[in-house]
Amino acid sequence: MSTDRKIGVFICHCGGNISDYVDVDKVRDAVEKEPGVSIAKTTMFACSDAAQQEIIEDIRKEGLDGIVVASCSPKLHLLTFRAMAERSGLNPYQYVQVNLREQCSWAHRSDMQSATEKGIHLVRAGIAKAALCDPLTDMRIETIPKVLIIGAGVSGLRAALTLSDLGLAVFLVEKSDRVGGWTGKFGKMFSQNLIGEEVIEKLLGEVKQRENVTLFTSAKLIEKSGRVGDFSVKVQTRNDETISLDVGAIIVATGFDPYQPAEEEFGYGLKGVITLPEFKQLLDGSNGEILYEGRKIRDIVYIYCVGSRQDEDEESSNLYCSRYCCTSAVHTALLAGEKDAGLNQFHLYRDMRTYGKQELIYEEARIEGSVFIKYDDYDLPKVEYIGDKLRVMVNDLLIGGEEVEIDADLVVLVTGMVPRENDELTSILKLPIGLDGFYNEIHPKLRPVETVIDGMYIVGTAQGPKTMAESVASALSGVSKSASLLMKGYVDLEPFIARVNTEQCKWCDKCTEACPYDAIEKIFCEGKEVASIIPSLCKGGGACIPVCPEDAIDLEGYTDAQIKSMIEALVKDEETN
Amino acid sequence: MAIVNTEFIKNISCSGKFNASACMSCGTCTALCPMEINTLPRLMFRHVMLGLESKVIENTENVFSCLLCKMCEESCPSNVHIAENIKCIRQYINQEIFKLGRS
Ligand code: SF4
Ligand code: SF4
Ligand code: SF4
Repeated sequence: MSTDRKIGVFICHCGGNISDYVDVDKVRDAVEKEPGVSIAKTTMFACSDAAQQEIIEDIRKEGLDGIVVASCSPKLHLLTFRAMAERSGLNPYQYVQVNLREQCSWAHRSDMQSATEKGIHLVRAGIAKAALCDPLTDMRIETIPKVLIIGAGVSGLRAALTLSDLGLAVFLVEKSDRVGGWTGKFGKMFSQNLIGEEVIEKLLGEVKQRENVTLFTSAKLIEKSGRVGDFSVKVQTRNDETISLDVGAIIVATGFDPYQPAEEEFGYGLKGVITLPEFKQLLDGSNGEILYEGRKIRDIVYIYCVGSRQDEDEESSNLYCSRYCCTSAVHTALLAGEKDAGLNQFHLYRDMRTYGKQELIYEEARIEGSVFIKYDDYDLPKVEYIGDKLRVMVNDLLIGGEEVEIDADLVVLVTGMVPRENDELTSILKLPIGLDGFYNEIHPKLRPVETVIDGMYIVGTAQGPKTMAESVASALSGVSKSASLLMKGYVDLEPFIARVNTEQCKWCDKCTEACPYDAIEKIFCEGKEVASIIPSLCKGGGACIPVCPEDAIDLEGYTDAQIKSMIEALVKDEETN
Repeated sequence: MAIVNTEFIKNISCSGKFNASACMSCGTCTALCPMEINTLPRLMFRHVMLGLESKVIENTENVFSCLLCKMCEESCPSNVHIAENIKCIRQYINQEIFKLGRS
């Protein structure tokens, strides 16, 4: 293949991360004679400021019109080097990154010769792609300074207020006829003994005073289209009216459902066996001694991890820890003890996960006399009636696994959180679901509220079990993400979208059927009907490309010609030695 | 198999300082104890908390093997008054088993 391109190739040692397993000098020698290559170098750390400056000088001095950096994963430094290209005056889309670390040196530590050969092929493919890279420009989209929040629980309300503080308009859509979600139904909550109902009342009072927050109750989302910065949604309101709204970002705060034990699970269904939320209600409604069905309660047994951390061998198990329940149960036991100091409380747990400051209430509960008994993950406590006595049997690991039996007046199942059933909403939003059934973030630690859909954020327990404080923190994180997106006024999107060759197109309509984003329309061009891509809707997924019988569609940045020449470079026979 | 007896602990708490339930079963005390007796002192507290009287009695000799040196107590992260608690258990055994009068 001949080419008049002037390509620079920079191969990184990454300290020794690459060069300990791939002979980078050999790679350089092998590729420097490739067609189009003007200059090929190795560098110790390509991402360092000094190395970037050197590359910029090379680009200018040699008049390069394409560069390849063979270094780490593009996840790490694609944007670094694109910005570097831009600073040098080169179009950022004429830069190609080759992943020589994660996909080569790290993967083949035991065989340097083969790793080096593979490295040569990978870099050749990068050069082949760079030779066909045309300059592209980002698509700039003006953003709409309004946010849709779905769910008016504690997270949704808090997010609405904070966005409003920042001057962004908010539409708050709540499915049920009252706001507040689960928090609104709770009495005293750990760790500051805030009353859930009061927290919600206060937030709601403030929301009602904001002119730029519009609250819809008994309303649901029925349609969504558009993209980051510029979504169009339809909301069906109380009177079956449909309202169309344009928003720049969407925050999903749909919350959780409490786990509902199956019949007979830890004796559920027997008289005297109730769930933690049921017990909290009982407590909230009692003054002084605690009565259950008219009888005074004296001995309480809590069984932890009900509906969480279940056996992985069984289908539809919840494998995750629900995080809030250990603390909630301990806190509830303290509240119960305050009402009636004569109670005997036994906690059958697997691991106490009263993390952070919540450790303090675990200690307090022990000092107050709660007895904690540890059971094995695979040896669960049993609850049954012996005569007219409700009895719990457990093998206590803290005394070497010996069985103890406890007569209980009340057995409280410490139930966890499960994902809300929201299939309709999920399919409208096209949000991915994680392994645990909750909405899936991009990265649980580094990007916990962002989703694969730009401009759409998941906050609170919609993303996974959380305490109230954690839910609010996550709501605020969603706020700062959406506000930093919208307050700039525009977003620049990668120009990797489909393009139709109008000469080849015969308008057979196959591509419109394939496109999941309705991004293709029919237009008239030079006297005939042809397909045309709507740039603001196309996400560059490429579903249209293989279905076109005329090969009339190409994807910018990933053209057929580029992919073919990369494959040819990858399989090319060579004499490396 | 043993049935938990919630009354037992009340008979053991000889002073306001008795605080076995504050123990979080970390085992630091047993690891540090120069007597190197498995049941001393953590397990004794568990038995008391669960009201397993026979286990306490079975361990009479161990309870009296404690030197009250407080090596354990110095390091207990839960501030369990270990020596005081041991004294309470001894007092109970003295009374119930050895039939000695209250001191
Ligand atoms: S928080 Fe505690 S009770 Fe809840 S699932 Fe986790 S370990 Fe089990
Ligand atoms: S060191 Fe303290 S908390 Fe740990 S097991 Fe011994 S008495 Fe319990
Ligand atoms: S006080 Fe008793 S239990 Fe504690 S270390 Fe000394 S001998 Fe062992």
